[in-house]
Amino acid sequence: MIEVRNLTKRYGNHLAVDDLNFTIGKGKIYGFLGPNGAGKSTTMNIMTGYLAPSEGDVQIDGVSIVDMPEKAKARIGYLPEIPPLYTDMTVREYLGFAAELRKVPRRQIRERSDAVMTALSLHECADRLIRNLSKGFRQRVGLAQALVHDPETLILDEPMVGLDPKQIIEIREMIRDLGKTHTVILSSHILAEVSEICDTILILSGGKLRASGSPTELAMEQSREVVVTVTSPASEEKLLTALAPKLVNGKVRFSSGADGLVRAEITIGKEKIRENPELASDPRKFVSELLAQSSCPYYSVEVMRSSLEEIFLELTGEQEPDASPESGKERADESSL
Amino acid sequence: MRAVYKKELRSSFTTMTGPVAIAVMLFIAGYMFRTYNLANGLSSVIYAVFNSSLIFYFVVPILSMRVFAEERRQRTDQLLFTAPVRLIEIILGKYFALVTVYTVPVLVLCTLPVVLRPLGGSTTALDYAGILVFFLMGCAYLSVGMFISTLTENLIVSAILNILFVAVTMMIHNAYSMISGTVFTSMIFFVVLSVLIGIAVYAMTGFYWLSLGVLTVLAAGSLILSYMESEFITASCEKILGILDFYSHFESFVYETFSLTDIVYFLSAIVVGIVLTHASIVRRRWN
Repeated sequence: MIEVRNLTKRYGNHLAVDDLNFTIGKGKIYGFLGPNGAGKSTTMNIMTGYLAPSEGDVQIDGVSIVDMPEKAKARIGYLPEIPPLYTDMTVREYLGFAAELRKVPRRQIRERSDAVMTALSLHECADRLIRNLSKGFRQRVGLAQALVHDPETLILDEPMVGLDPKQIIEIREMIRDLGKTHTVILSSHILAEVSEICDTILILSGGKLRASGSPTELAMEQSREVVVTVTSPASEEKLLTALAPKLVNGKVRFSSGADGLVRAEITIGKEKIRENPELASDPRKFVSELLAQSSCPYYSVEVMRSSLEEIFLELTGEQEPDASPESGKERADESSL
Repeated sequence: MRAVYKKELRSSFTTMTGPVAIAVMLFIAGYMFRTYNLANGLSSVIYAVFNSSLIFYFVVPILSMRVFAEERRQRTDQLLFTAPVRLIEIILGKYFALVTVYTVPVLVLCTLPVVLRPLGGSTTALDYAGILVFFLMGCAYLSVGMFISTLTENLIVSAILNILFVAVTMMIHNAYSMISGTVFTSMIFFVVLSVLIGIAVYAMTGFYWLSLGVLTVLAAGSLILSYMESEFITASCEKILGILDFYSHFESFVYETFSLTDIVYFLSAIVVGIVLTHASIVRRRWN
């Protein structure tokens, strides 16, 4: 269990982390979500003892990282944003060094290095210099280094940045597996990454904790609208009759493209989401079922902006990307239901 | 400490650093030995050792410029400083690795008196005392050099600062009479020193007004003192310059006088370097 109490970090006059308080329980995947400069890395650097806090404390299983750093650090594995790799070492040498540094008993060093290399499929490059590895493999070596002393808690700073889609999927699977046996805390500025693998999301902005909870909880508590677009060959009236009765206080906007298809932008209101929280993360099933029930044909149902995205944008104080007035040009009419 | 020591030593020899440093030292020491002992027939190796002090200009920057600067540049310091190891263990591990590399050529120096003996050399314990002080002086340079490498993540800046430090400590004895000779130059020296202390206070604390205050008080103090106690000011100027004077502490051994003071001097320089390294890294964690 990790307890963060009144954590504050000042760089000169700049307040990077501002009176942060939260508790991290055992055996789940937690995600720090926030735009660049939100204080995610600084918070992680303090939690791992790399930086000292200006005020406040972090307790790892009741051991303070400020007062008893050696004891607290032994319980954590840390993968910083840039993996701390010695590029002139081979993977095996590097893991051996990391294990020895982390006080793994001499006799177990080989065994532990082999175990993490197996877990992260690194055996094929065990004797290659880290310098010659691809970005994806380096990230894995970084992860291996954080795991080599078998810590209970893993702290991963932006573990998926700079990887290609295939590598992202691989790392995500690894993190999901690790989450079954470890407490994992990761950070990201990409909502989709965090909402996909984390059990609990902590939204940070300007060094403050803006909201926390599971994706569904967040959507329920904060209740924002969700926007879905449907492309359909049916008429606007037919679509309206199919959807209208079920969308309490929702909105539908129509626009017709050159291909003769109708595009309906359906806004599902807060009340509806509060009633049915699953809609917050993915309302496509709900909309397609409604359309199917009244035999209304459709080609696609897509989520334009999920409720979580709305919350994220609002809490982190960023402008909606598509709020400019000219985006309404195409909209032919708008009907309230 | 062991883990860091082993890693540092290995990386010294898997990169060019270690071999280059050792080669430079052996080349210069060998050249001095040839010139003074073999060509000119001096019976003691002490002059060769003494003149080999030239090697510090090359070896100190080669060995110590990257110690912490490189870790910071590659962000590998995040691995070291988040490991359950005390900071002093990391520092000592790195320091002992530097000293180990430096010990290799010094051991070669130790064989020179033995080589000279069949040729009519007169080996005394003082030759070995000279080599010991040469060794300690190098260790002191490496210790301060390690501190310098914590100040920047730019290797070139680190190397230049290292060379400057060697240059100042080797040549300051020439500047004694110039600086502490008159009250006026001593006063200027103290004003410059006040400015440097002011800058250091600012770098350490970040309080602008405090640093300016310290600077003003010190500068005013030295101005007043130089009017009222002119002898005191020239004497203390010489004393302060003496702190940085590695050369003179080394020189006394050439005249075959074993001086414990000088050995203690270099040992304290080693400790000061390590303490400064520690303080510099701790300060970075807090800022």
